[in-house]
Amino acid sequence: MTPTAPNLLEMRSITKTFPGVTALADVSLAVREGEIHAICGENGAGKSTLMKVLSGVHPHGSYSGDIVYRGEQVRFDSIRASEQAGIVIIHQELALVPGMSITENLFLGNEPRRRGSIDWKSAQRRALELMEQVGLREDPDTLIKDIGVGKQQLVEIAKAFAKDVKLLILDEPTAALNEADSQHLLDLLRGFRERGITSIMISHKLNEIEAVADTITILRDGRTIESLDVKADGVNEDRIVRGMVGRELDSRFPDRTPAIGEVFFEVRDWTVRHPTSDERMVCKGSSFQVRRGEIVGFAGLMGAGRTELAMSLFGRSYGTWLSGQVFKDGKEIRLKTVADAIGHGLAYVSEDRKSIGLNLLDDVKTSMVAAKLSKIARRRVIDPVREHRIAEDYRTSLRIKTPSVDEGVVKLSGGNQQKVVLAKWMFTDPDLLILDEPTRGIDVGAKFEIYGIIQRLVAQGKGVVVISSELPELIGLCDRIYTVFEGAITGEVARADADPEVLMKQMTANKKSPTP
Amino acid sequence: MRRTLIKSITAVGAAALLTLATACSNEREGSSGSDSAGGKGFSKGSLIGVALPAKTSENWVLAGDLFTNGLKDAGFKADVQYAGASTTVADQQAQISSMVTKGAKVIVIGATDASQLATQVKQAKDEGATVIAYDRLITNTPDVDYYIAFDNFKVGELQGQALIDGMKAKKPKGPWTIELFSGSPDDNNSKVFFEGAMKVLKPLIDKGDIVVGSGQKDIKQTATQGWKAENAQQRMDSLLTSAYSGKKTLDGVLSPNDTLARAILTSVKGAGKPVPVVTGQDSEVESVKSIMAGVQYSTINKDTRKLVAETVNMIKSLQKGDKPTVNDTKSYNNGDKVVPAYLLPPVIVTKKNAAEAYANDPKLAPLTK
Amino acid sequence: MSRITDLQKNLFGGTTSNARQFGMISTLVAIVVLFQIWTDGLTLTSGNLIAVVSQYSYILILAVGMLMVIVAGHIDLSVGSVAAFTGIVVAKAMQEHSLPWPLGILLGLLVGAAIGAWQGFWVAYIGVPAFIVTLAGMMLFRGANQYIGNADTVPVPEGFRKIGAGFLPEVGPDTGYNNLTLLLGLAACAGVVWREWKARQTRREMNADLAPLWVTGVRLAVMIAVIVFATLRFAGGRVGTSLPISGIILIALVLAYSHYTRNTIGGRHIYAVGGNARAAELSGVKLKRVNFAVMMNMSVLAALAGMIFVARSAASGPQDGLSWELDAIAAVFIGGAAVSGGLGTVSGSIVGGLVMALLNNGLQLQGVGSDMVQIIKGLVLLLAVAFDVYNKSQGRFSIIGTLTRPFRREDPAGTAAPPAPASDADKTKVAG
Repeated sequence: MTPTAPNLLEMRSITKTFPGVTALADVSLAVREGEIHAICGENGAGKSTLMKVLSGVHPHGSYSGDIVYRGEQVRFDSIRASEQAGIVIIHQELALVPGMSITENLFLGNEPRRRGSIDWKSAQRRALELMEQVGLREDPDTLIKDIGVGKQQLVEIAKAFAKDVKLLILDEPTAALNEADSQHLLDLLRGFRERGITSIMISHKLNEIEAVADTITILRDGRTIESLDVKADGVNEDRIVRGMVGRELDSRFPDRTPAIGEVFFEVRDWTVRHPTSDERMVCKGSSFQVRRGEIVGFAGLMGAGRTELAMSLFGRSYGTWLSGQVFKDGKEIRLKTVADAIGHGLAYVSEDRKSIGLNLLDDVKTSMVAAKLSKIARRRVIDPVREHRIAEDYRTSLRIKTPSVDEGVVKLSGGNQQKVVLAKWMFTDPDLLILDEPTRGIDVGAKFEIYGIIQRLVAQGKGVVVISSELPELIGLCDRIYTVFEGAITGEVARADADPEVLMKQMTANKKSPTP
Repeated sequence: MRRTLIKSITAVGAAALLTLATACSNEREGSSGSDSAGGKGFSKGSLIGVALPAKTSENWVLAGDLFTNGLKDAGFKADVQYAGASTTVADQQAQISSMVTKGAKVIVIGATDASQLATQVKQAKDEGATVIAYDRLITNTPDVDYYIAFDNFKVGELQGQALIDGMKAKKPKGPWTIELFSGSPDDNNSKVFFEGAMKVLKPLIDKGDIVVGSGQKDIKQTATQGWKAENAQQRMDSLLTSAYSGKKTLDGVLSPNDTLARAILTSVKGAGKPVPVVTGQDSEVESVKSIMAGVQYSTINKDTRKLVAETVNMIKSLQKGDKPTVNDTKSYNNGDKVVPAYLLPPVIVTKKNAAEAYANDPKLAPLTK
Repeated sequence: MSRITDLQKNLFGGTTSNARQFGMISTLVAIVVLFQIWTDGLTLTSGNLIAVVSQYSYILILAVGMLMVIVAGHIDLSVGSVAAFTGIVVAKAMQEHSLPWPLGILLGLLVGAAIGAWQGFWVAYIGVPAFIVTLAGMMLFRGANQYIGNADTVPVPEGFRKIGAGFLPEVGPDTGYNNLTLLLGLAACAGVVWREWKARQTRREMNADLAPLWVTGVRLAVMIAVIVFATLRFAGGRVGTSLPISGIILIALVLAYSHYTRNTIGGRHIYAVGGNARAAELSGVKLKRVNFAVMMNMSVLAALAGMIFVARSAASGPQDGLSWELDAIAAVFIGGAAVSGGLGTVSGSIVGGLVMALLNNGLQLQGVGSDMVQIIKGLVLLLAVAFDVYNKSQGRFSIIGTLTRPFRREDPAGTAAPPAPASDADKTKVAG
């Protein structure tokens, strides 16, 4: 890329309204040929809408403003039209068919044909070429469901290459990836830049943006706030955050003085087998402790077994329990069912809000009380007044943005949904909360609030376990961090000693130091 | 505040009540309890309901058309309904109820399941309608007034005799090997046909002149659920494989009606066996053709025209307030009472007498020439 | 304009599901009015209403159970066969072993429970999809019905027939009406007034907006008027008739099951399982137990429906229960349940069932043949669900908004945003 490179794409004064709401107001975006252009903004700032306008999901005519692409004014009226022009968007939710092979997915809807039937031989050859381009080394006949998320992402990108991409748009490409895969992906983007392919990247991970982007456009409330040249303007994370939230965030984490008490929860020698594979152990003799008032972190790569450990503890909701004991306040407790676990004061806030954390058909108040209905019922009949009051209380205390507690949870933003899930588990009055990726997909402002809630919980003398793939989050939040690798706990790091390098080492290399 | 609420409720409620109460004409007065058949008659042009089974055979379709026209010609309003194909019983129950609601004076019922209509028949009776069981006797209820049908026992006898005659014609000396088929077990007539036929066949079976190849002689074994051709064909297929595998020949099959007869013949042909003597009933077009072609042996001519005409006559005399003609007041006990019946004689038809038998039938007569 | 939406909201509640029910109820009213005119007033005569209730009560009972099955994310194809099987067992027991009829009913319910336990076991504890289990059940129990019944029709005793064809006795002074039915109507009126009062009290305790008094008054008046009308019709039929006993059984079941599904922990759990089974499980819901209970309950209700039909038909026959499952499932879906589970109400299903029943009845009164009736019913099912799907894709639904759209242009305040999307806007902002 040269600083004087011409603009590949210009979106001028784009305004897009939905009935009653203006999603984009006079937004402009200029992307130079061959650069990596990041678009930042909080959830709801208009990033996705802008990309939908560009890719033709919102067809020409449904918005006002002009799109100039490669020097010509374009009017896309469908995704197909934008793809033909070489603009390919890769969504956060991957559009792959799990039961089909890599090759089949690569050419889905675009199959090379010879005399009316699919020419698998040339498809195979092309597939290998494409996979080479994105650095994916797999048998092209492997089924998508048998490869990891990181590799699936690569397949998606390879698919874009199959369509002769000029402008690649990635929506939160690393959200579901672990550290190593993310790194690989970012390297890949840099490689594309070398080859003259332009990329637009939407991401919440500011460190990645800082590392890879040439230009950053910041959106807020449907408007363009600013466009920054990373090198010239000396952009860093704080600078981006300021643009996004419109004010300085003094700190990414609220202040807190830890008041840590006695050990009250202890797991010994926890061993769990994979639900379908007899050979695989997802937890190998894991032991750990939680003190009252303590925030304990679990660091590990994707698939290291953190979620599996948490879920198997929570009423054996995952895998087959083989051995191990759980003690609470010095007494052994048995957690055979979720109801047992809730009864013994455990709460598990799942990693995936939408698919296993919430019933998306429920409204806010129903969701909040779902895990302990007996608390609002008299002789098994639910008292609507009590339900309403409790929901209102949580709405105020957790500052959940919803017009009323009768609103469907599906209409809430990710951050507010997460607060509803937190309320649901706070309502069970737990002693130990296990939070699995509590801030995934949540914008900066809401993250801060959720950290605040966590800190308030421990201030009440509860114990909190946080599982997170973002090391800065764990380091900033936790009093103690366990590292997990391939189902085993490989280390324990106190707050004072926690830094990304130390953790990363223990998370990746199986140091033979099983904690006592 | 609460008082205003109560006030407004009472006010609006009372107003609504008043309007409704005046609008609601009480139907209690109009009921006539048990206005038994025959009594005073009713006005010309009254509604006559006809509830028939699903359109599974040509005869029911023909009967429906004949009723529609015949009743209209006689000056009545006709409401002719067929039951649906899959929900026959429930449909027919609902249809009869609707006819009662519409104030039908006479309801003619060709029952799908003759023993599951007691409630509706009672309802009809309570509203003062006369109930005529058409072709199939409605059982387990005292509320049926008349029964009109062909003499079904006689039909059975004729079928049995035809079977013997046919086999004798082909192979003068016994023993003959036969198979028996009967109709749907939920149709009261099936039993009557079968018993009639067995009255003729039994002595020969006992003597050993006739052998039932498969040994299946009980009506439970020979039944054809729902009078369905596919069921008869399936049973015949399995009989042929199980009992007639080698050179064993089948001389005759007692079939209760034409649809089943053709299904049986299809099965025999499929198995590559020589065509046996097969009886039938109903004079369906395809079977008459088959008889003329020398495949099916016999059928029964129960002229639907005659039966419908007699039914309409019966309705006419009810309208005038006369007692309709009946010719059997002893034989038809439905479990609750002996239903007065008017029986028409059936006629056996083979290739020999077909031309004569169907001379007056516009559809069948040309086929016999 | 906004006053009209307010009114709609106040009268029928503002949420989408209520709007849906409002749509169904208006369809029902439209059908009644249409046929009332078309049949020269026959539709709403006492005799016809009584006939309709006793003809369709067993389908509606099935719809109640089916609603719960569908909400939990399953389906039950076996109900017709289970009903037929129970019918023949009970009829045989009473006829051949001279079991007294009250014990016969008990036996039937036990048979239903046993079958339900069997099906529930496969669905909940083994994890075979309910579609398969009940498809198997459909064949299995149809076969069992024929095996036991030998395809015969078995009559049932007079006492037993009461539950399907019986009426309330005539007691007390001669008022020109069936007195017990009048009493029931009175109780129903008192019930709705009490419920309305209770609802206002609850809303007051929640500090929620109270509907203006006149709105409550109008709503009560409408409901009471309907009840009074129905009561007089059912009480004013031929001497010896009243609200049918099967109708009373149905009403009792509807009240009990609406209460259960709406207001109890067990009911919540059914919706939770259907909405998101994994989330429900992780919230401490005993998934297996809920699935088992729902399947078992369905078979018990199917057994009851079967017995009511047999009682009404005075005999158990080989054709009993044929394609009932389809009628019940259609009623539930017309009533607004979601195919994927988690959504739907008992009252919605009943309204859906009544739409089908009155359509059927009205067409029959018109002398339309059963072939055409089938075609029309099929189209109604398709359109009702398509309408629902379309509304979902178009955002919220507002019948009154749709009806008044043509007039809005002439409205001097024509710049005002249309009501439904305006409230959407608030939400979008929240979601931002």
